[in-house]
Amino acid sequence: MGKAARNGIRRLGKGNGTAIPGQVMLRVDPGALGGMIAELARGCVLVTGSNGKGTTCRMLAQIMRAGGLHPVLNGEGSNQLSGLATTMVAHAAPTGRLRQDFRAIGLFEVDEGSFPEVMPHIRHPAAIVVTNLFRDQLDRYFEPAYIMGLLERTMRSLPPDTTLILNADDPRIACLAADLPNPRLYFGMADTGPCRSEPDPTSDCPRCPRCGGELAYSSVFYAHLGHWACPGCGLARPEPDIRATGIELIGSQSTRLEIATPAATTVISVPLPGLYNAYNALAAVAGATQCQLPEESLQAVGEITAGSYRMERVEVDGRDVYLALAKNANGYTEVLRAVLGDGLPKRMLLGLNTNPGKQPDTSWIWDVDFDAIAGLVLVPVVSGNRAADLAVRLKYAGWPDPGDVIVQPDPVAAFQAALAATPPGQPLWIVSTSVVLSGIRAWLRRHGYVRELWQEFAREQQEQARRPRLRIRPQAPALPASVQPRPVRRRTALPLQTVELPAADMPSAGPVRPLVAGSTVSMPTTADLPPLIAEGDDPAAPAGREASIEDRGAGL
Amino acid sequence: MTAMKITIGYLYPDMMSTFGDRGNVETVRRRCAWRGIGTEITELKLGDPIPAGLDLILIGGGGEAQQRLVAADLHKVKAPGIRDAVAGGTAALAVGGGFELFGRFCQPERGAEYPGVDLFDCWTIRRSTLLGDDYGTIAQAKADRVIGELVVQWDDRLLVGFENHSGGTYLGTAAQPLGLVLTGHGNSGTGTEGVILDSAVGTNLRGPCLPKNPALADFLIAAAVGRLHPGAELMPLRDELEQAAHDDCLQRVLPAGRIRRVRPGRAAGTGPARQPRLTRPQRSPQRASRTTDAATRP
Repeated sequence: MGKAARNGIRRLGKGNGTAIPGQVMLRVDPGALGGMIAELARGCVLVTGSNGKGTTCRMLAQIMRAGGLHPVLNGEGSNQLSGLATTMVAHAAPTGRLRQDFRAIGLFEVDEGSFPEVMPHIRHPAAIVVTNLFRDQLDRYFEPAYIMGLLERTMRSLPPDTTLILNADDPRIACLAADLPNPRLYFGMADTGPCRSEPDPTSDCPRCPRCGGELAYSSVFYAHLGHWACPGCGLARPEPDIRATGIELIGSQSTRLEIATPAATTVISVPLPGLYNAYNALAAVAGATQCQLPEESLQAVGEITAGSYRMERVEVDGRDVYLALAKNANGYTEVLRAVLGDGLPKRMLLGLNTNPGKQPDTSWIWDVDFDAIAGLVLVPVVSGNRAADLAVRLKYAGWPDPGDVIVQPDPVAAFQAALAATPPGQPLWIVSTSVVLSGIRAWLRRHGYVRELWQEFAREQQEQARRPRLRIRPQAPALPASVQPRPVRRRTALPLQTVELPAADMPSAGPVRPLVAGSTVSMPTTADLPPLIAEGDDPAAPAGREASIEDRGAGL
Repeated sequence: MTAMKITIGYLYPDMMSTFGDRGNVETVRRRCAWRGIGTEITELKLGDPIPAGLDLILIGGGGEAQQRLVAADLHKVKAPGIRDAVAGGTAALAVGGGFELFGRFCQPERGAEYPGVDLFDCWTIRRSTLLGDDYGTIAQAKADRVIGELVVQWDDRLLVGFENHSGGTYLGTAAQPLGLVLTGHGNSGTGTEGVILDSAVGTNLRGPCLPKNPALADFLIAAAVGRLHPGAELMPLRDELEQAAHDDCLQRVLPAGRIRRVRPGRAAGTGPARQPRLTRPQRSPQRASRTTDAATRP
């Protein structure tokens, strides 16, 4: 029933329909989700935090596949309760039960704000990975302190053998629920090569989680992540179990990491730029260590493709266009650093958008370090419904001549302008919040340059399925007690369980439905995939067809 | 205007800058630099006393935990210094949480009230138990907060911004509101927004407020410069981008056609400190702006 609803939505072209099947299931039988998750033979791993959840999941999924497991993961963005439910519906047989698979493991990205709603459905997670905690969506989630409280309170109900996989370099995360008896696995940077000496002036500057005093850093990697200690009470960063002992940032393309785990030291190459992706890889390796995956499987991180909007590359008429999502101050700063870290000027389109009725706050752009890259962006184009605010921000960041900034609120028109200013053979970087990116991506899709996000996801899953399985035959690692398959208990209502459908997940009627890195969860068969190029669209000459572009632009 | 310089005290940059409040400091700095006025920014953290000779004091907003620490420090270390400075003509801008602490006291959801700086005759009381130890769900927390765009009529011009606070700030009889709320909630939902005392301004406007309200920024700069150079005139700047962002906000929140741009009667901040009207205007803003236009037309 849920699947039927999703396919209907997709056919109507009104978005992904990633939330609907789950919502249907949660309405019909609120206990079913917990039952299905309990059927996963190898239990499940959760990933939460402010930034990097999606990429960490993708990396860990890749490692799990190489290690012979079959990860069941919710696609990027469907990380609230209904999205998770949709994932499980998609993996269920028509009987409503999961297909029997002794290698199935759940790998769920969970929105940090939805954590309390999701957790009651997952009775016994094997591990919880917490990546970091930044200020994000202040109008939705308030301060980090509030999210911290939310996470800690929810973690009190965890079974005592669930492993907490924590970022040692983030003071708040390292001391998360410090009094719980649960086993902890820390990850962090050991190579202080790429570090700074002080926290970014625009970072959160968290204070000591124990005494509230000011923290002292011996090195900082980005924002407030680094080697910290409290001079007041003596609390210090825990020594990480999974350490990056060597980091080599290779331009704006990739990173090479030397990672030491308790068992061995491995060198992996991460095909994504930036220190924040090095942290994501560390988190993924920590997750893999917890799942006792063989060391060789870690190399699979090198095979991941950029997630949609995560430095996703699209070729448009001989130009490489990169789509990079940046939705909060630290994300924006780190993406800009990753792109412009080599000091070479680039052409960029910067976007800023708010969704009607959501997130009217854009004050965080004043915490983005635009000052450091003044002069490195050739022909800056700003777009989105808050383009005017962004233009003011750039002016006050000392960008050379604010008159040179092209302000074009309409994403497609802005993209046209940026493309026109980019000679063939040159790359164009688009860094933005989600709405501008989805507008541009929708245009790219209509012109045949890319496919729908859910189609991309499905194609990727199919490719994974076709890949030779088990390059490494696992020597059947002994499962920890926490991941033993449990007897199936379906259709039992959870005690005292209120299921609240977050309004954010209701699909809006209009075509402007924000994708919010939206994506999907299901695995349609090949027959479901439409041809790469939609009928009636001519992909050959997208830039010169103003009239038709405007027609389509109006539909955005 | 040679070698003119103002000294800015930026309070708690590490703790009270939650909503991009750094943007206010940056705005003052740049707008001074474009006019050839130097700025010296002194960051004042926990334990640092207020130095003598400040021309401008800036404080932003922060979370509950930060407010508690800052309130204690303000009360112990900085309050007399701030009151004396403002009495001596120093300009000030206190935004959000900082504004609440510049009043007489701030009563959090639970626990003892925080003593304020007692600069403004106002006080803040949070509406219910929310961000204390008892964390509810996001939905519960949201219901208790005022979040949205805020448009304020400040004398003959409009200020735009964004508000995100819980509880209400109530004005005592000695307090002059900064302006009147056209859209949004403001101090306590009764139509007033912020406080103004000489050239010290307290407001809920964030976003941050100065970049999008260059008139307010110039009012503060003029007051700061005027402390040592009475009668100095600020050079007008080209504010097309700022004005566009300002108008953009008005268009988002106000019904189309209701508000026309209010033409400023004078260059910002050059006249005497204005006293905003205390009562709601009888006429619609559109009519009010029309009269202003007529009055200033040659």
